Amino acid sequence: MIVCVAVVGHQNNPLYIQSFTEEDDALKLHHIVHCSLDVVDERVNNPKKSGPTLNETFLGLLYPTENYKVYGYLTNTKVKFILVTTDLDVRDADVRNFFRRFHAAYVDAVSNPFHVPGKKITSKTFAERVSTIVKSFGLSSAG
Amino acid sequence: MGPTQIKPNPLVKWNLKLNRPNSCRCCSSYSSCEVTTDLQTEEESEIVKKKKKKKMEEYPEEYRTPPVSLVSLVGCAKHQAVISRHLLAEQPPINTLALPDLSNFLLLLAQKDSTKPPQASGILRRDWLIKHRTRIPSVVAALFSADQVSGDPTQWLQVCSDLDNLKAVLRPRNIKLVVVVIFQSSSKDDINEDRYLALRKRAEVDAKYLLNLIPNDDTELKQSLTRLGSTFAELASTYYREEGRRIKTRIEKKSYSSIDFNIRYCFKVAVFAEFRRDWGEALRSYEDAYHTVREMIGTSTRLPPVQRLVEIKTVAEQLHFKISTLLLHGGRVKEAVIWFNQHNASYRKLVGAPEVIFLHWEWMSRQFLVFAELLETSSASVPSISSLVSGTADGASTEWQFLPSYYYQLAAQYLKEKRLSLELTLSMSETANEIDSSAESVVPSVYVGQFVRLLEKGDAVQPLTDEEYTRFAIAEGKRYQDTFEIIALLKKSCESYGNLKSRRMGSYCGFRMAAEYFAVGDFSNAKQLFDEVASQYRQEGWVTLLWEVVGYLRECSRKSGSVKDFIEYSLEMAALPVLSGTDPQGFKECGPAGPPSLSQREIIHKEVFQLVSGEAGSASAEDNNDIKINADNPLHLEIDLVSPLRLVLLASVAFHEQIIKPGVYTSITLSLLSQLPLNVVIDQLEVQFNQSKCNFIIVNAQRPPLAAMTEDQEGYRVESAPSVTLATNKWLRLTYDIKSEQSGRFECISVIAKMGPHFTICCRAESPASMEDLPLWKFEERVETFPTKDPALAFSGQKATHVEEPDPLVDLNIGASGPALAGESFIVPVTVVSRGHDIYSGELKINIVDVRGGGLFSPRETDPSAIESHHVELLGVVGPEGEDESHLNSNEIKKIQQSFGLVSVPFLKNGDSWSCKLEIKWHRPKPVMLFVSLGYSPNSNESTAQKVNVHKSLQIEGKTAVEISHRFMLPFRREPLLLTRIKPAPESEKLPSLPSNETSLLIISARNCTEVPLQLLSMSVDNEDGDSERSCSVQHGGEDNLGPALLVPGEEFKKVFTIIPLVDSSKLNLGSVCLRWRRNDHSGSTITKTWVLTKHKLPEVELEASPLVVSLECPPYAILGEPFTYLVKIQNQTLLLQEIKFSLADAQSFVLSGSHSDTFFVLPKSQHTLSYKVVPLASGSQQLPKVTVTSVRYSAGFQASSTASTVFVFPSKPEFKTGDAGETRMQSIASE
Repeated sequence: MIVCVAVVGHQNNPLYIQSFTEEDDALKLHHIVHCSLDVVDERVNNPKKSGPTLNETFLGLLYPTENYKVYGYLTNTKVKFILVTTDLDVRDADVRNFFRRFHAAYVDAVSNPFHVPGKKITSKTFAERVSTIVKSFGLSSAG
Repeated sequence: MGPTQIKPNPLVKWNLKLNRPNSCRCCSSYSSCEVTTDLQTEEESEIVKKKKKKKMEEYPEEYRTPPVSLVSLVGCAKHQAVISRHLLAEQPPINTLALPDLSNFLLLLAQKDSTKPPQASGILRRDWLIKHRTRIPSVVAALFSADQVSGDPTQWLQVCSDLDNLKAVLRPRNIKLVVVVIFQSSSKDDINEDRYLALRKRAEVDAKYLLNLIPNDDTELKQSLTRLGSTFAELASTYYREEGRRIKTRIEKKSYSSIDFNIRYCFKVAVFAEFRRDWGEALRSYEDAYHTVREMIGTSTRLPPVQRLVEIKTVAEQLHFKISTLLLHGGRVKEAVIWFNQHNASYRKLVGAPEVIFLHWEWMSRQFLVFAELLETSSASVPSISSLVSGTADGASTEWQFLPSYYYQLAAQYLKEKRLSLELTLSMSETANEIDSSAESVVPSVYVGQFVRLLEKGDAVQPLTDEEYTRFAIAEGKRYQDTFEIIALLKKSCESYGNLKSRRMGSYCGFRMAAEYFAVGDFSNAKQLFDEVASQYRQEGWVTLLWEVVGYLRECSRKSGSVKDFIEYSLEMAALPVLSGTDPQGFKECGPAGPPSLSQREIIHKEVFQLVSGEAGSASAEDNNDIKINADNPLHLEIDLVSPLRLVLLASVAFHEQIIKPGVYTSITLSLLSQLPLNVVIDQLEVQFNQSKCNFIIVNAQRPPLAAMTEDQEGYRVESAPSVTLATNKWLRLTYDIKSEQSGRFECISVIAKMGPHFTICCRAESPASMEDLPLWKFEERVETFPTKDPALAFSGQKATHVEEPDPLVDLNIGASGPALAGESFIVPVTVVSRGHDIYSGELKINIVDVRGGGLFSPRETDPSAIESHHVELLGVVGPEGEDESHLNSNEIKKIQQSFGLVSVPFLKNGDSWSCKLEIKWHRPKPVMLFVSLGYSPNSNESTAQKVNVHKSLQIEGKTAVEISHRFMLPFRREPLLLTRIKPAPESEKLPSLPSNETSLLIISARNCTEVPLQLLSMSVDNEDGDSERSCSVQHGGEDNLGPALLVPGEEFKKVFTIIPLVDSSKLNLGSVCLRWRRNDHSGSTITKTWVLTKHKLPEVELEASPLVVSLECPPYAILGEPFTYLVKIQNQTLLLQEIKFSLADAQSFVLSGSHSDTFFVLPKSQHTLSYKVVPLASGSQQLPKVTVTSVRYSAGFQASSTASTVFVFPSKPEFKTGDAGETRMQSIASE
């Protein structure tokens, strides 16, 4: 289950962060997302030598905590998407698929002429769309 | 609770030397075993003790270091040290158990057997490993001296009985025996063969295990020691292999009564493999043991459930530790990490009984901590983490799993978990005292992970019930200060992240550390850490996290009674961009601040302003009794450009004009913005400028006037505003008129807002044009408005303006006319006329600047030693007429430099004038810009007076006055043959050549190239070298003094000099032309009367002896019809015979007699004359018949020039008057 998704701007400021848990650990998830930016920085600054990952937006598993797995995605405009999930067995393809849809939703949201780039995303449509994507995460693999 | 230290065995206290690799100098000794000796110095061991003890080191030392083979030496105590030292230095080393006497040894081994338990009541015996490492040797060497062996029968019998005893003890244990005979001398003949054989038979050893040692001979000793070492190594290896195999067979045959034995056997096999340094087998066996332990969890029933789990976990922990150590020291980091993950995964869920759940968390924490320490120590030997990580792109793990800091962090997390559950358990248990009393006399049992009650009588022990054990564990748990342990772990993690430049992870650890400090009431440490973390979050705009941290900080300052901090943090929180949109439900664990929400901000806002206004009736008044703001404790906050409180109050100040006149009113707009959630009413605003006279105060008309103004505010302008209320995110704009009398920069420094009687905020003024976005709020969607009504002003407005100087009422004139001439002192009159201002303390500054920029230097003359370093130089300033420099007062400033001058101007009343003259000398013709500026103050009070400046500039051309040129000529009708002229060589072209021993002519002409007439005083050729003997004589027919001569512009003055070379050198230095001149103006100034000397260097000439000289001779004039003689003389100046050809062309105007052409020879140093009688046929200027002379030797021809061969023919004999002015007439001829 996805417990948190976040959009982080290129100055590493949060643009959108939403948790999907019943518990009171939203703040903890904020911490996890924030800490995972260190890994993103590390990945961006020291790219792996292996060829195919060059120009890859999907950063893979960033940061294993005891109960969560954190995945990252970096757009060409240096906007980062972070995904925190409690599933211990996640397929890479699912995560990639999730990020692709999430990216599309983000692009649509920032294409709104009333949105100022670099500001937080407050669009309700975006929030609804994200929540749909989150709910459908992993379903394709199950079906 | 960690595994406790094994009690020292009393046996070790004996006089036995026990060599152990005990100083755990490096745990990496698995890969390259580097063992320190027992000879380790005292200091060294002190250092080891002082080092901060790692958790890992709480494991018994025998688990942490690789086992080392143990051999025993018996007998001959004095030689044992040599042998043990040698064995320890072996590679791999061998420890020795040195026993002086056989009886000791028998006792050592004999006692072992008695304690062997009949049946397994535990998995691993606690002392089994140390027993094998320190007490049970693999090989025993019986040392006998040669005397004993070869001695009398009693001695021999003693030897035999010793051997028998030894054999009896060793055989059941399968320990190998070596017999060493020690000789006193190198001769081995002390013992006969028979005795030797008998000894071997008695000992029942192979011949190769009967060794000799000769301690007195160095080479022999070395050899025998090496032999001894290799024998021991071989036998030890055999022993451990056999032991291992023996136990392995038991496993294979499954000949064990319970699963406990299976584990124990696997462990033993692994240890024996380690003794043999067979790491692979050791690892395999440890893994087998580990897996078997895991299987035991559901099946074993030997112990009550709680203790059973504790034992299993303890054993699993030890096995895991061994495996991790082996993997890591083998450089298999990735496998170790995977292994650890499996270990973690399989035990994490085994929490056990609820009342001892804390034991589980503690155990988990220890797993992480120990693994972190292992990783850390091994990371030195592992090449680099990143190289490992690159291989793990499988998505299952990340690089962070190879970092010790990650494990430290989790260890801290589990320890925190443990503390929580322990607190819960404690709170549930009835009375703590009861627990304490029953926990006494519980000691670790002989089995790893088990505890027993020690009964009062003797060594008897009694197993514990689970209940008893629980009480014991709780009592033990209470003894530890987990908080500090947690802080230490987090600190380690934080430092480690810091080294990796992972600031955010470090911040998170720092935050958790601070929270721990906060929990134990250490507010200063907490505050320091929180502050660091907060700045990180502020920087990146993580508002929710910042909210939590600042909430802690606020509580810290509240509890430590710091009013200022409390207000600052409260205001910051109230102004944070936390909007109602966020769901507060998810943020219940937000620390003391409560969940971030708009309502919470409003609560904080209200609390602050109640406190500020002095209404201390808030609900929190009880616990913040120190937090008060009153007349005794006024509060003043400063907000600068980087302060986080910029959100609370932002002051933007804009002057409406960028340049203002002094004393004229201009508008200034003061705009204030606040992000506080509720309206803020400001009682009074004070605006401060850099000119404090202009400060003014704005009073809120709606509020009762505050108490009397402070002293320094006396006399300030007071304005009243109808309402000074700040609404959230809405600019409050106030516009006032302001004027300044003082010229220069006029800047608004700060705005001080007073709210309540004792609270002020000083806010640094900012320019709207260069204002930065509000931090944090810049990421929010909010209505953004301009600070000023006029949008243009919002983009260009500045908090500073420039006040102009008052207009000067003084005329400053520079009266130079025409260009300056190089060399003369050019006079520039400067006049100061006051036209409305009195001039006090006036100063005249003079600057000469090159028009083309750059200095007045030319590149090649930058050498400071050059005299004429400046092409144009300010020589001096002369005061008004009649006032000499000496009359100037000493206190008046006068400073003259080459291109700069400073002259003070005396006091001038309105209408007065003052003038001075600048004397400037041009060394080179060069245009310059002359800047003259007058600074003065219009009134006498110098301290406050404003300086007024007047500037004038004038470009002045510099010109060359006279242009001097020269020309060389030979005497009339006399032509020496100069060979260089007919064969021009490149270098000889440079210098003009003159014939030596001849008189040459030099014509010097000086042309006036100015636009003014000049007077010439004299022209002469001086030998500037000042040589006593001149190389030539330069003479001039007329007088030197010209009288003086007037030279109008464009006119040329010529003077003829004769040159007679006096020396016989090839080069001739003629000196230089000196021309004295001045302007012929009638201005009457005395300065212009001085003569200017212009020098012109003449080139050097080359002297050359001419081999032939041709001279033409004829009378100065001829008379029509009257014959005259025309002579052509050819002089041979060489010592050679010269062949000369000549020819004569007929001329129409003359009839002549003589040969027309011929060839003849001129003798050396003689002269040949061709003589013609010529009769002129026509009058006027006539060409004589042309003679062409050719020298065959030099192939040089000569033809007289037309001037030289022209003669004037008078029609009849002329009449000349004699005695005219010809004698005194000047030789100068004005050219046409």
